[in-house]
Amino acid sequence: MAELGTLSLFFALALALYACAGSIIGVRRNLPELVTSARYSAYLTPLPVVLAVMALVGAFLSRDFDIKYVAEHSNAAMSRAYAWVAFYAGNEGSILFLAVALAIAAAVALALAPRLHQASLAYTCSIITGVLAFFLAVLVFLANPFEAAAVAVPDGRGMNPLLTHPGMFVHPPMLMTGLVTVTIPFAFALGSLLAGRTGDEWVDTGRTWALVSWSILGAGLLLGGWWAYTILGWGGFWAWDPVENAGFMPWLALTAFVHSIMVQKRRGMFRVWNIALINVAFTSSLLGMFINRGGPTPSVHSFAESVLGWVFLGFMVVTALFSFGVLFRRMNNLRNAQRLESRLSRETAFLVNNLLFLAIAFVIIWGQVFPVLSDTVTGVTITVGEPFYNQVNGPLLLAVVFLMGIGPMVPWRRGSLAQMRRALLLPFIIALAVALVLIGFGITKAFPLLAVGLSVAVTVGIFREWYRGTRARHRSGESYPIAFARLISANRPRYGGYVVHLAVVLMALAIVGTYFFETQRDVRLAPGQTAEVSGYSITYIDSEQRDFPDRAQRIANVEILNEGGESLGLFRPEQSFYPAFNLRPARAAIHSTPLEDVYVIPNDFFPDGTVGFRILVNPLVMWMWIAGPVMVLGTLIALWPARQKARAPAAISMSPVTRAYAPAAE
Amino acid sequence: MSRAQGARSSGARLPTLNGIKRFFPFFAAVILSILVALLALGCAADTLTLEEQAQAIDQRLMCPVCPAETIDQSQADVALQMRELVREKLRAGESEGQIYDFFVERYDKGVLAEPPAEGFNVLVWIIPPVTLVLGLALLWLGIKHLGRPETHRMSSRGDWEAESERYLREVNEEFEAFRRASGARGASGRG
Repeated sequence: MAELGTLSLFFALALALYACAGSIIGVRRNLPELVTSARYSAYLTPLPVVLAVMALVGAFLSRDFDIKYVAEHSNAAMSRAYAWVAFYAGNEGSILFLAVALAIAAAVALALAPRLHQASLAYTCSIITGVLAFFLAVLVFLANPFEAAAVAVPDGRGMNPLLTHPGMFVHPPMLMTGLVTVTIPFAFALGSLLAGRTGDEWVDTGRTWALVSWSILGAGLLLGGWWAYTILGWGGFWAWDPVENAGFMPWLALTAFVHSIMVQKRRGMFRVWNIALINVAFTSSLLGMFINRGGPTPSVHSFAESVLGWVFLGFMVVTALFSFGVLFRRMNNLRNAQRLESRLSRETAFLVNNLLFLAIAFVIIWGQVFPVLSDTVTGVTITVGEPFYNQVNGPLLLAVVFLMGIGPMVPWRRGSLAQMRRALLLPFIIALAVALVLIGFGITKAFPLLAVGLSVAVTVGIFREWYRGTRARHRSGESYPIAFARLISANRPRYGGYVVHLAVVLMALAIVGTYFFETQRDVRLAPGQTAEVSGYSITYIDSEQRDFPDRAQRIANVEILNEGGESLGLFRPEQSFYPAFNLRPARAAIHSTPLEDVYVIPNDFFPDGTVGFRILVNPLVMWMWIAGPVMVLGTLIALWPARQKARAPAAISMSPVTRAYAPAAE
Repeated sequence: MSRAQGARSSGARLPTLNGIKRFFPFFAAVILSILVALLALGCAADTLTLEEQAQAIDQRLMCPVCPAETIDQSQADVALQMRELVREKLRAGESEGQIYDFFVERYDKGVLAEPPAEGFNVLVWIIPPVTLVLGLALLWLGIKHLGRPETHRMSSRGDWEAESERYLREVNEEFEAFRRASGARGASGRG
């Protein structure tokens, strides 16, 4: 199994290197056959990588502890279902995952590339396979997951117990896929630049792939939050931890990109800026991979420190220098097709959006780097943690929500103040009214009032646009549902974007709910005792203990009653102690309603039979998880190719002469 | 939205909105002042319980043995003891500052979840707003630059010639490609 794995990795590296070198030599020396054969080599690369993955998963399934990686990340007691999770539980396996995700995405992207990219596809292919070759080379020479164990062991160490959670089957794969597929829009942008195609041909493909990796990354981040909420035992879902930040930075850069690319798509502007943005997104995704492998600051989630981190950092610096170097050299050829007509325009709104998202990303990088800086300058190790990010990024996120209420209402090209007032009056009056009602209910903190008010304004604005559009179509004789469906499909980027904006509003509400209105109690209860937390009564009944070879599991039986004294059911929150890891992951009991969550987690089982519980009443958390599917739905609408659009690129690239010739050839 | 559409939608506005619109500054002023007054009231009335104070402190102290977790988040024994200690000290009447000082003395500055704004560490707080202001300035310059007519027009005759030459070349290339493709199709159709 190990030999098969190593061999297929070697084979994959050879294919990727051939694809990378063949494309570039072929296109430079004008050898179309070489270019084609290099591209076929890129199509083939996923096969040996998938084979290597199967070999590794197979090794976990057959408990082949002669392989060091398998011995370090699994043991005989582990359920075989977790073989898939164990595969990427460590450094080597996770790089293999990155490689397989990129290899497959690369083949798909190259195969689906519209003909209009023909001139630049060789460069694009070379860039993608070059990045892929980097991962494969790391696997072959520095972090081979198939390395034999130094000493034979009868049983493995076991997988990190924090990973035994259903969320782990999808969260890390999505996060890693999201991170690594940023390579694809980046390669299309840079490839067309290298080929000297300084127009907008790369825009549609680049945007589609950027949206794909943006939504996968976003969903991965949300799943990570859900995992943290149910297992880490403190009742929150986001802590600005370095590894969370590592995925969040590229997501922010991509968010900026998927907005500003619309300006180029529609108006042929921001040509330099969009390429710079996708470069930033790609660089920050490599930075994220570096942080996950022993970056500058410690984290709950990261793999142990390793030299590999520095290899990733080096690769990041090289690619950043290369991509910005290319951009700098071609900058003079990238002219805007149009000029900015007014300072009050959608174009400007998108620029402000870019500024905000890049600022948030910058704050994160700054917070990560500063401890290192401070350590070298003053010699004192300091921490830049959650309170810093909340205080600095909180207002910026609020500004994002504010802009979300205004930006979509600003017309393209040129807006007028009167028009703005007409568009914004109703949403903001309703927002104020809602804020006043909230004040009436005794909510007096400024940040939540602003956040909720602005969210209301955004929502009203979106629904009014939908209503108006639907009504206009209804008047021309369509029934309301059909009118609405046709409205959405008529301008998918816009209306899909609105759906995503609604998801963001849901998240904003959940964040405000948990950060400002959660009630938290740490209590120690003897069997039969009851704790009261904001209206709920939580009774600890008794506990059970179960012993497993690798862990001791304790279950607390708990009954939760609501304000009216009705039982919400019996719950069995649990905690397990894994001696091999000295970790105590817990599983919370959560009673969720749209209004609030009751969250009970047993943190300490004391010898005298009492149990230390953390009880939280968390308002509106459920909307955080609902936002995920809504966001994905919106993205799908936004990137779904329109029926006529599918042919549109070809029509654009076809010159009048060709078009004249086309009917004759049919 | 084009101008025509804008006009149409404004025509369809609710008539009552016109009244509100005329008095909008007045309404806005009244509502804002109510808001401010209530906010001020709310801030004044906001007294925290000891547990709430303690939780706020927990969230600002790092657990010294666990990576990147505050004592509020961590389930390690040290964190548990530190949480107890925070409550004890609050009950004894110590201020928030005194409690932080105590833990800094015991575990060094790294125990604080956010660096205190003093000495070199002022930078961590200053740089983000400075960068934002710089970004805004850049944005302003960029907008001005993009608004200038010469950035989009072909500035010289040479540019125009190069452009049209490129265009012509593209047309020819495509023409060739198309003829080859359709030729191949024709051949296979015959075969």
